[in-house]
Amino acid sequence: MWAYFKFELSQFITNKKNIAIYAILLFLACFYAMKIAPSYEPIEKVDAKEIEARYLSREAFLSTFYNDPNRFVGMAGFGLAIYPEWNNLDKARLDALKDHDFVKYSEATSEWYVYANNITYGNERFFYSPGYYSHGNLYASEDGYYGYLYTASRYKGYAEGDYKLSLNVFEERTALQTLQRLLHSDLPMILMICCIFLTVDVVLKDRLNPTILRGFPISDWKKLIIKGIVSLIGSIGVILPLSVGLIIIGIRYGFGDFQLPVPIYTTLSKPSYFNKGEFVNTAMGNYLVDNVIFIVFCFMYLILLVLLVSMIIKNEFANLLAGAIFIFNESFFFQRGIGFFYEVENYPTNYVQVGQIVSGYRNYIYNSNALNFNHGLMIVGMSTSVLLVFIFIISKYKRYKLI
Amino acid sequence: MRKLLKTNFIIEKSSKKNVLTFLFVALFVFGLAIFMENKDVGNLVIQKTSEYQNLTSALSRFQEMDASQDGDSSDIYQNLNQQQRLVTLQRAAANLDRPEMFVNSAIELSNLRKVAFDLEGYEDVAVYLPTYTENQLESIFYENLRTLGIPIFKDNLTFYQFLIFLFGILGSIWFIFLAFYSCGLMIDDFRHTSIIKGYPIPFEQYVAAKGISTLSIILLVIVELVICSLPLIYFRGLGDSSYPVAVFDGDFEIYTITQYIGVCLLYMVCIAIFVILLSIILNMLLKNMYLTLFVQLFLFTLPMLLPKLISLFPFNPYNYMNFTSLLNGESLDLSNPVVLNSTHGLISILLSIVILVVVIRLFLSTGRLRRV
Repeated sequence: MWAYFKFELSQFITNKKNIAIYAILLFLACFYAMKIAPSYEPIEKVDAKEIEARYLSREAFLSTFYNDPNRFVGMAGFGLAIYPEWNNLDKARLDALKDHDFVKYSEATSEWYVYANNITYGNERFFYSPGYYSHGNLYASEDGYYGYLYTASRYKGYAEGDYKLSLNVFEERTALQTLQRLLHSDLPMILMICCIFLTVDVVLKDRLNPTILRGFPISDWKKLIIKGIVSLIGSIGVILPLSVGLIIIGIRYGFGDFQLPVPIYTTLSKPSYFNKGEFVNTAMGNYLVDNVIFIVFCFMYLILLVLLVSMIIKNEFANLLAGAIFIFNESFFFQRGIGFFYEVENYPTNYVQVGQIVSGYRNYIYNSNALNFNHGLMIVGMSTSVLLVFIFIISKYKRYKLI
Repeated sequence: MRKLLKTNFIIEKSSKKNVLTFLFVALFVFGLAIFMENKDVGNLVIQKTSEYQNLTSALSRFQEMDASQDGDSSDIYQNLNQQQRLVTLQRAAANLDRPEMFVNSAIELSNLRKVAFDLEGYEDVAVYLPTYTENQLESIFYENLRTLGIPIFKDNLTFYQFLIFLFGILGSIWFIFLAFYSCGLMIDDFRHTSIIKGYPIPFEQYVAAKGISTLSIILLVIVELVICSLPLIYFRGLGDSSYPVAVFDGDFEIYTITQYIGVCLLYMVCIAIFVILLSIILNMLLKNMYLTLFVQLFLFTLPMLLPKLISLFPFNPYNYMNFTSLLNGESLDLSNPVVLNSTHGLISILLSIVILVVVIRLFLSTGRLRRV
């Protein structure tokens, strides 16, 4: 069995297609690090000018209206009630920025975001940062709510932590934070697509040289398991080319720290003021480990799926199609808020966006509370074992012989 | 040659790949229809609500002031306020089913936006507004609707309206689909070189037969796309084939739906021939279908990754592979704007096809075939 494993592994590594996949990933990683990462514009920037403009105009309003006899006419009273505290926070942020006191800035900023969100959410007169209101976004205020409280929780973590703070950390530009942002968007899908491409011919390539391979004294079932393990190792190996990009980003913007806070949206405790969940910080290291575990589970599921399909249909395009259906299925029926009506947490295809599952964002946009790490592992793991049983049964049938 | 084609068709008929492809295409069309139904694509009220939100956040960047004509506010502020008023009017018109009012205010709105491009301080609010090209297309579309006197369509799932949407999506994925479909072309033959060498016909004819049989399958796929949309006639009605579509074709113009679909079909067939020929050449050189696939996709994404290349080499056929964005004039909104013309695109693709044919005739022969 060990000899067969070595044989499969050497075939896997020398396969032209697999080398090409690693090369493409290396190119993409470098391209991202050189071109795309530097032009990243966070919505919540550290911008002293913006704070100052807001602070000064509100200060002017307060000083004119404070002793005005008409101060309770119209909305002026509302302004007089909310602006003083808001301005204090803005002043604290400005002063901290001027003194380069990042801890104080974090404290004030965290409070600022909570305060601003309490007033802005559901209010027609105030707006979140303009970046949320992109063309055609109907859920801008919901995104703003998430973004503000996410940022507040993040800054709270910075104020309490004992690592080196910098503007790059605040704007999530360091290598680890970039990885976190990517996991939150497209990276899991890219990894899974790579996994499918790496696995797609692992069974069917044997059909080209049947006479040689029929001689191995090893059962089909064991062969399949070894092929699966080799593909899993290869799929996890895509981390290598991607880490080159991370190193480039790290050299430019700093690597960050494994203790950096990552806010997780949770709904387990009692609902908050706006009947939503709240954010709890976890360490960057934990977040990444959770992601890696989850992605490995998804890899196992995909690999077994591809193995099963290649046994039954024996066509590489069928493999691609089956994998693509697993990855893109969610986007066909996805709608915000349907988690309230349907049990979205019971479908393994809803766990493709791994980073968003771990950070709770999927729960937020589905308006559900069950799409979490543990439940996901259970669902994907159960589906994986079902596939494994199928493969075991089918491998006993002569009709579905590998070669 | 005819006998060979017959053999090829028999092979294609029993190929699992083709069955899967047809299945996939049918699933795609039905999935798209369900997706549109779910998302309520083309619902005017939703569209206008989002536009209203954008304008509100654009206005929030200004101090609130007197926005009347003789007020002391800036021109852009007044302009945005008027835009917001018109959008509100449109939303009401869509709700109350008053197509004429909708179109009239749409024309007024696009005129206002045209003015806004030259006003001071436009750059600050540009993200919230449609680009110049989008506005031009909208303006010409509504003007045409008014002159023709056709009421604006609200049901985007009628047959013809759905086809427009379908071909719009196909623009960005047709090449990718073809690259996947054709990447394995002739690879099987390299595994049995002795058979090819035994055929009593020249190699070019063999390649031609292979290309023609693949192309006919792709034509069948196109027919399938239309057939799968036919049930919509039963569910939602036929729609109007002379309904206008605004396109950029070197100039802002109006096509009817039939014309638009015609141009799309022409592009789709040309792209299909191009991809088939390139796949054959790449397969001969690389001898691995996945490498062929990756090279094709890389060439396709290169102009998107580096938009500067488009203005450097405007005649690169890969600039024209996404025919929807071409017809939408998206190249005008790049950081280095280029005028990409759909006729030039066709010429460019056809020229490349000729070059590929010449390459196949000159450099590839049976003698070069080796077992993989």
